[in-house]
Amino acid sequence: MPRKVSYGLDYDEDYGYDYEEVDDYRLDYDADDSGDVPIAREEPSRSTSNVWRCSICTYDNEEGLPACDICGVIRKTHIDVNNAKKTASASLKKDLPTERISTTSEENSNVVTSRGRHVNVIKSEHGSQLDIHASGSREVALEHGTSADEYKHQVLTSSSNSFSDESTNSAQKASSLKPYSHETWMLPEKGESVLTQLNIAIVGHVDSGKSTLSGRLLHLSGRISQKEMHKYEKEAKLQGKGSFAFAWALDESAEERERGITMTVAVAYFDTKKYHVVLLDSPGHKDFVPNMISGAIQADAAVLVIDASVGSFEAGMDGNKGQTREHAQLIRSFGIEQLIVAVNKMDAIEYSKERYELIKRQLGTFLRTSGFKDTSVQWVPMSAITNQNLDANPDDIRFSSWYKGPYLLKAIDSLPPPLRDFSRPLVMPVSDVIRSPSTGQISACGKLESGAMRAGLKVLVMPSGHLGTVKSMEHDSRPCTVARAGDHVAVVLQGVDGSRIIKGGVLCHPDFPISVAKHFELKVLTLEGASPILIGSQVELHIHHAMEAACVKKIISVLDPKTGEEMKKSPRILTPRQRAVIEVVLQGPVCAGEYSNCKALGRVSLRASGRTAAVGFVTRVIED
Amino acid sequence: MRISRKDIVPDGPGSVKLVPVDSDDLWFAYNLIAVGDSVMAVTVRKVLREAASGGRDAERVKLKLEIKVEAVDYDKVGAVLRIRGKNILENEHVKIGAFHTLEIELQRPFVLRKEIWDSLALDVLHQATDPAASADLVVVLMQEGLAHIILVGRSVTTTRSRIETSIPRKHGPAIAGYESALNKFFENVLQAFLKHVDFSVVRCAVIASPGFTKDQFHRHLLLEAERRQLRTVIENKSRIILVHTASGYKHSLREVLDSPSVMNMIKDSKAAQEVRALKDFFDMLSNDPTRACYGPKHVEVAHDRMAVQTLLITDDLFRNADIATRQKYVNLVKSVKDSGGAAHIFSSMHVSGEQLTQLTGIAAILRFPLPDLDDIEM
Repeated sequence: MPRKVSYGLDYDEDYGYDYEEVDDYRLDYDADDSGDVPIAREEPSRSTSNVWRCSICTYDNEEGLPACDICGVIRKTHIDVNNAKKTASASLKKDLPTERISTTSEENSNVVTSRGRHVNVIKSEHGSQLDIHASGSREVALEHGTSADEYKHQVLTSSSNSFSDESTNSAQKASSLKPYSHETWMLPEKGESVLTQLNIAIVGHVDSGKSTLSGRLLHLSGRISQKEMHKYEKEAKLQGKGSFAFAWALDESAEERERGITMTVAVAYFDTKKYHVVLLDSPGHKDFVPNMISGAIQADAAVLVIDASVGSFEAGMDGNKGQTREHAQLIRSFGIEQLIVAVNKMDAIEYSKERYELIKRQLGTFLRTSGFKDTSVQWVPMSAITNQNLDANPDDIRFSSWYKGPYLLKAIDSLPPPLRDFSRPLVMPVSDVIRSPSTGQISACGKLESGAMRAGLKVLVMPSGHLGTVKSMEHDSRPCTVARAGDHVAVVLQGVDGSRIIKGGVLCHPDFPISVAKHFELKVLTLEGASPILIGSQVELHIHHAMEAACVKKIISVLDPKTGEEMKKSPRILTPRQRAVIEVVLQGPVCAGEYSNCKALGRVSLRASGRTAAVGFVTRVIED
Repeated sequence: MRISRKDIVPDGPGSVKLVPVDSDDLWFAYNLIAVGDSVMAVTVRKVLREAASGGRDAERVKLKLEIKVEAVDYDKVGAVLRIRGKNILENEHVKIGAFHTLEIELQRPFVLRKEIWDSLALDVLHQATDPAASADLVVVLMQEGLAHIILVGRSVTTTRSRIETSIPRKHGPAIAGYESALNKFFENVLQAFLKHVDFSVVRCAVIASPGFTKDQFHRHLLLEAERRQLRTVIENKSRIILVHTASGYKHSLREVLDSPSVMNMIKDSKAAQEVRALKDFFDMLSNDPTRACYGPKHVEVAHDRMAVQTLLITDDLFRNADIATRQKYVNLVKSVKDSGGAAHIFSSMHVSGEQLTQLTGIAAILRFPLPDLDDIEM
């Protein structure tokens, strides 16, 4: 199931949590009978195909229902879609002869996007062929069962062509911003043989083997040569950390190597058969969760690494000191639905099936209650240090006798391609700013959340609001010409002072600036084990890559977990596992947007006393 | 604070001559002086004099004025206390009824005359003159790229310095950039540390951070001290403690004061007591929410039912209120103490006091649960 980055049918209505599942409120029933409940839920989707999925709570409703059973969101009919389809396809034929690659022109008045819809059209380089059906294969693989076809036929065209779509489309435009139309170069060309990019975050409790796994994967895919590997091994043995040899491929600083831990997220690239994978190796240590948040927020899918050895798994699952739970909850709150659970260090437990099943049961329950669907979680037992079940079926007889499932790389390849937002204005949260000492250039690194950019494009640097020009871009130390949504690049900017670009800032389209504010209204879910939240509680707010100290100014209401309705106004205190609407005031301004406008800029997590207290999103930006 | 002369009738009128010694004393003075009292001190005033030729001449004259207080203003940053009021003393240069602003400075005596010296005011006076060792603690609260140097005094916590730099991620070719940026950051923090930390006044220095930043900084500090022969640091090496916190933001100061190694040093001080009391309140709130309440209305209701075991209140409430409200709070504190409970008056300048202020300024831990408090509007 692809990650819901695009906006679905019902999106503008009542945006509930994207990640909230119905199961959450059933937490009280807990471990014993959680087995029955989720299975019962999944039956409709498996047995019949006349169900429609609510885009808010992702519950599969019967076809005949006008509104979602769980969250009450009304299912919009497809009437307008069909109309648009007709007009769109008519204009489409008209456009064919006059199609050409447009040059950069920001001002255009033709409305092509309405708030809730967008479609990608895959055009070839020469612009003569329009292949609508092919669009369904990669980019527009929407999972709204019956409505998928309608989407494919809506067309976005660029401004330079003359056509009369304006009237119908302008009526659909709901936002007050000037209408945005993307250009042809912003959409990926169909003819390109470039592999789709997939960002994967590797998370898990400390010492579970994340960096070693990443190093091993790089080595197996050929990214690290044998010579380099020997060098790492030698150096590691010298320092007395021979077993960390693979991890040293990712942990490059002296501090990390000395202590044998990862402190910041390391980015590495490698290719599998189907994807160009961007690996984000996160730290597992409790103190470095802010860094892990900064890394995992860029991911499309995640690999949760578990240490299977006796005692370590239990330590990881511990509510207070273990990171397994916290990481799983955080990545779910970032909207990541695809998860591969890699049960590592199987060699330490002699590839015992019982232990694996025990881990699968316990962790599976927890993942289900956190909101991961059983079908989107894959379980891969393996051993990174002895290279079992990573790129080929296991050799060890104790292992292969009972395990018949996919090996890790096959599991990665079987992940569905992520949805990308090409047709929205450019948004790129800056994760890092590097000043090159040799050339004195400033480059901003980050992942494009929507839109596209290329050399020469003017971008707005928020929060300072200065205009800069893109001089060049680099991906994986190689220059690239165009960067699109989902790509991880380092952009060299010109015309902007180095101090203006900061980590936590956002590069955006000059006509569509991102709001910068200190006062927000948030809808949150408090996590279990966190201390209660009162008015005046001091927390740290994490939003994309920015982090700021914040104070809870007001607790507006507590919501009913089932219906999302207000249950109680102005409660005194927020206990764990409650949904609420609160107001926070930050110490310094951050770039943020409402969740309904841009998901990446709207997701927040609140941390206090070294734990994640609540996760949620921005419902309103309050200008002071 | 030194008392030169005291002439007080408890719960009655009286006057006292005080000499503030350090900035903490200005804070005590701020709490003591209320609207309606009279303060006499030596001050400078610009006086207009008629010269023989008819032109007006302005001259700065030093004179002793007694004014009736109308407004008190404490400047935290400049550590100055300003008192505005009407002149009530016969004076050749200043008419009676003319407005004047007195500035209370260190080492300059002033006389405070009050109509009623209630128990609270006497308490503050007693604390101010208590020669017990202060909590003086210097905390370097940091995380990668951000550092605060905070001085925790007896009743006031001041942030002496704040350093913020952006440190790039450490991978690939930019790794050299990371090391040099980090070193520059540590250098800045070191400079600020040397400037603001006076080991003769301060009991100990705490370096606190999440992760390993504190160890890195400590190492850097000691190395630089050796290299540059910084005597103060070398001699006081043993007085530097390392503490772990969750973040480098100011509210993590609470965790610093809570940690056992620091607590040992300051357990008799007011700051530590406040932190502990607030921690108890939060623990009670998470374990049994019906046994803790906050907000003036809830606390009043709880008090009416004789349910208050520990009362937490900030001195902000006493200061800003009019006479009637102040009297009410004084009575509240007294009756809680009389009924066998404990009352903690938090200094709103400490980190725990700031947090209590955010929570409306008044909170209570109850003897028995009161579940119906939830229904009452806050």
